[in-house]
Amino acid sequence: MTGSSVAKQLVDAIIANLPEPAPGLRPVHTMGVGVDGYFMASDVARNYCIAEHFRGHRVEVSVRFSNGFGGPKQHDGWSDVRGMATRFHLQGGVKDGPATDLIATTLGEFFARNVEDFFEFTKIARQHPVQRESPWRKILDMLQLKEPVRDPYPKETTNTDAGALSYANRYRFAQLAVFEAAQIGAPVSYTRATYHAIHTFMVEDPHGVRRPVRFSWQPVAGVRTTDPTATPVDKYLRHELEERLRRWPARFMLMMTIGEAGDALDDPTKPWSARRVRVVMGTLTLTNLAKDQVADGERISFNPWRLVPGIEPSGDPILHARRCAYEVSREMRGGCPFIRSQADAK
Amino acid sequence: MSTVFDAADVQGNILRGYRKPRVRYLILEVADRMAARRWFAASTTGRDDVPQITTGNWGRTKPETCFNIGLTYEGLRALGTPGSSLATFPNEFIEGMNARALKLGDVGPSAPETWPDPFGDPRRIHLIATIYADEVAQLDQVQQRALTDGEAFKLLGALEGCSFPKDAVHFGYRDNIMQPRFAEVHDGQRYEDGQPKAPLGTVLLGHPTNFEGLRWRVPQPEALGHNGTFNAFRVLEQDVVGFEEYLDQAASDLLTRPQIDELLPPGAEEKIGQALSIEGLSRHAALREVVAAHLCGRWRDGTPMALSPDAPDPKVDQANFDYVGNSRCPFGAHIRRCNPRGGQIVQRVANNSRRLVRRGMPYGPLYDPAKPRDPTKPEPERGLLGNFIGASLGAQFEAMSCDWLNLGLQDPRITGSNDPITGANDPGTSWFDLPLKSGTTIRLRGLPRFVRTRGGAYAFMPSIPAIRFLGSLMA
Amino acid sequence: MPSDESWLDRFVSGLPETRVFQRLASWLLVPYWAWRTPVKPLPGGPHPSIQPGDNIQCMMNLIMPLKDKSPIGRAKAALAIAQNKDAIYAGLDNVGTVHFARFVIVGDNICMFSVYDGDFTNYIRDFIATIGGVFNAVVKLVEGGDAVTPCEHNVEAFIQWVHERDLYQVPDTATDLLRDQEALNGDKASFGHDDLRLLPRKVVLQLRANANVSLGSGYRAYPGFSAAQVRNQLGIGW
Repeated sequence: MTGSSVAKQLVDAIIANLPEPAPGLRPVHTMGVGVDGYFMASDVARNYCIAEHFRGHRVEVSVRFSNGFGGPKQHDGWSDVRGMATRFHLQGGVKDGPATDLIATTLGEFFARNVEDFFEFTKIARQHPVQRESPWRKILDMLQLKEPVRDPYPKETTNTDAGALSYANRYRFAQLAVFEAAQIGAPVSYTRATYHAIHTFMVEDPHGVRRPVRFSWQPVAGVRTTDPTATPVDKYLRHELEERLRRWPARFMLMMTIGEAGDALDDPTKPWSARRVRVVMGTLTLTNLAKDQVADGERISFNPWRLVPGIEPSGDPILHARRCAYEVSREMRGGCPFIRSQADAK
Repeated sequence: MSTVFDAADVQGNILRGYRKPRVRYLILEVADRMAARRWFAASTTGRDDVPQITTGNWGRTKPETCFNIGLTYEGLRALGTPGSSLATFPNEFIEGMNARALKLGDVGPSAPETWPDPFGDPRRIHLIATIYADEVAQLDQVQQRALTDGEAFKLLGALEGCSFPKDAVHFGYRDNIMQPRFAEVHDGQRYEDGQPKAPLGTVLLGHPTNFEGLRWRVPQPEALGHNGTFNAFRVLEQDVVGFEEYLDQAASDLLTRPQIDELLPPGAEEKIGQALSIEGLSRHAALREVVAAHLCGRWRDGTPMALSPDAPDPKVDQANFDYVGNSRCPFGAHIRRCNPRGGQIVQRVANNSRRLVRRGMPYGPLYDPAKPRDPTKPEPERGLLGNFIGASLGAQFEAMSCDWLNLGLQDPRITGSNDPITGANDPGTSWFDLPLKSGTTIRLRGLPRFVRTRGGAYAFMPSIPAIRFLGSLMA
Repeated sequence: MPSDESWLDRFVSGLPETRVFQRLASWLLVPYWAWRTPVKPLPGGPHPSIQPGDNIQCMMNLIMPLKDKSPIGRAKAALAIAQNKDAIYAGLDNVGTVHFARFVIVGDNICMFSVYDGDFTNYIRDFIATIGGVFNAVVKLVEGGDAVTPCEHNVEAFIQWVHERDLYQVPDTATDLLRDQEALNGDKASFGHDDLRLLPRKVVLQLRANANVSLGSGYRAYPGFSAAQVRNQLGIGW
């Protein structure tokens, strides 16, 4: 069930659950910033994948970092999943030319195995009014050696925490993602977090061998989150990035983990063992904030299915659903259409 | 501990094979403890019409029928073996084969949860009695005698095997060429094989093992454990159609490779055809045989790749060879994985240490490649009823299974791959390297699982005095 | 923190860090919950798996209390290692599956940490065969070690003894600790009536049952390659 009607339902379900819809903007990952940079594949990348951007020459990229939160309110300092969508501009680097996308978030796993799970999740994990737990209730939790309920942030009147928790309590496959999302915090910089592409892709090497892989971006500057006990600041990530890039480029390593027989290929809720072979696929260098934030940030429509020969999607049903859902969402806000290749564009 | 070894004290199928063409396994549950004990006591002498256990000293003439038994841990319990004694058995035996699935590669389609009855409920499997004979009528007759009192055991199931001409097995190879040889045993069937003679402790508890200075724990009391051994009984289904299809696919793939002439020089197909007595063997058909030979480490007629890598050769010694220097037997070939002989392996101390006695016989109808298959009908099930016998299941059968057959730890050039014939392969990730004269390799991929486990049990094969001991248990 | 909190909110939020609460927790709450909701200690060693990557670069973490808890006892342990340098290298070179092994004295314990390839029992058995004498020299200094030495004549018992002392390896992801506990209780369900907020209690109670554990499955620079593969690739022989 990944047709366009389902895609519409998926997007509607997400929008229905927003605290404040933002017409014309992305329903989730609404607030973000576009960055320019380039990617250089490592000298071994081409041995594993024949895709153009792994051949070793400089590939221009557009990256959009974002807060996962849906809606026009910006709360950089809140604990939230962050996004890093990367467009590799192929064949000479013309923007709006042929390209491939890699979409990643700071959450290592997803909370739903398929579309049915996702619909149920959106039903259960609704926006709920939140207020500070009473001190007496907190003491009771402490006596039970229980994780206390997080205090709401100032101005935070509703959230989906309680619903997500009750979903996870029912479905064990969702526990990891829900637990990690609850602990995720806020990065001190968009360039100081690890981003995971979550889904499995099949990459093809020069001998025609296909391997299941998962990608992640490792920040060269290291991972660091803000002090969770301090009062969160609403706006700092964009400014921090601008200042940082003015001084020196920021870099990420693209790591590719190779799956083995028995690893979950079609289930984004299941992490792979840390004991799989990891290959360094290249280095991303971010140079400056995009000059035209509308064109190079807000109007770009990323799609995990914008792939090139050498990389194929796995059978992961969530990955399949994202193809049309991203497209529906783009149509609703009028972003750039989904073009798979130059041939499709003609 | 007795110092003089007497073959009459041990069960007869351990040190030598009977080479009878028919076998039947009776899977039994102890129904009445007292009656079962009486049966055990009688079985050592053949009293009360209970079939007599065949011992290692069968005299000048082999008996017409042979009869042997193995007990599972549950079986020892069912007979009332004292707890203090049960605790002295090794962990892997106590846990049983089903619980050791991960070590044996019994996962996915081979997982114990998929095994048909009687192997679905291992707690009920107590005794595995084995009858060897020339004729089915003899099997029937011994079976009837074994169950004659109708009280001691409940028959949970019976499995029957039958040997094929020329020691062939289902994948078309000649089998049963190698077995460990023992200094203490004269076996006219076994020839010099260039390997050290195996110490008795390879298969009998209470004797020196293949590891210098190491002794396996003898289950107590001594009368129960001494001269006993352990058997991994396996029902291994073989996908012969899948195997032949893979040979087709691999041969077609190889024909497209630039280095193919190194593997099969032009005209070599004729030589292979001659050796296999096939006229006008095509290059594709010859390559199928080349692949089959590489996967196993032997050509299908038994010629070892180590001695004759280019074509089968009936003049070559099938037993006496080693993996030295630039042997062109693939590092990952089945027989080299099972027994690396004197070849270089990572765990040098383990050369020769994981050898097993194998007593196996095919079950199911012989596959005839000439006969067209009816795709609307399912293939009949066929495979091997295998016994893998050793004094330590952990140090031999399991050690070989988990690190050598699967994983391929013994050689860095095969690490991460599984045995091409018996391994837990997944076509998405499996691979196998064919070595070339030039020192490079051609990699085959996409090997599926050809052998699927359909049942099995770890059994203790007690000595004759131990069977008497079990028969005399009180309380 | 948010400014709308009262003095009581602030007091309660800081409570877990107070000494009074910590005493209360360790003397009363933890024993109480251990009694009300008992947990079994999770078994040590690597998680059983058939996948190749999981069977390479496995960890063994042994913490063995010395019999003689004095500087002399510790010195004996130090000497046992120092005197066996040749034997240890003979074992490393001939068993060939060990990436590294470390001996550490912590308090009155001798600890042995190693990273090895393949099956645990094969690893220990092969080492017993090559350098059982080193095991004997160390283990006889350890509480309970006499029962399993000489290891050459107590192979099965020795392997079991070591396995029982091998630390539980807490999974890399927190929620997998729950899965381990469920598996130990025979609970294979994918759905449940769980309370994820009880994870802290479950961690506390497991660490009460299993005081020494390994955190995570180990962090590897080049996972998926055996010691022999590394040596082979580097051209230094194997």
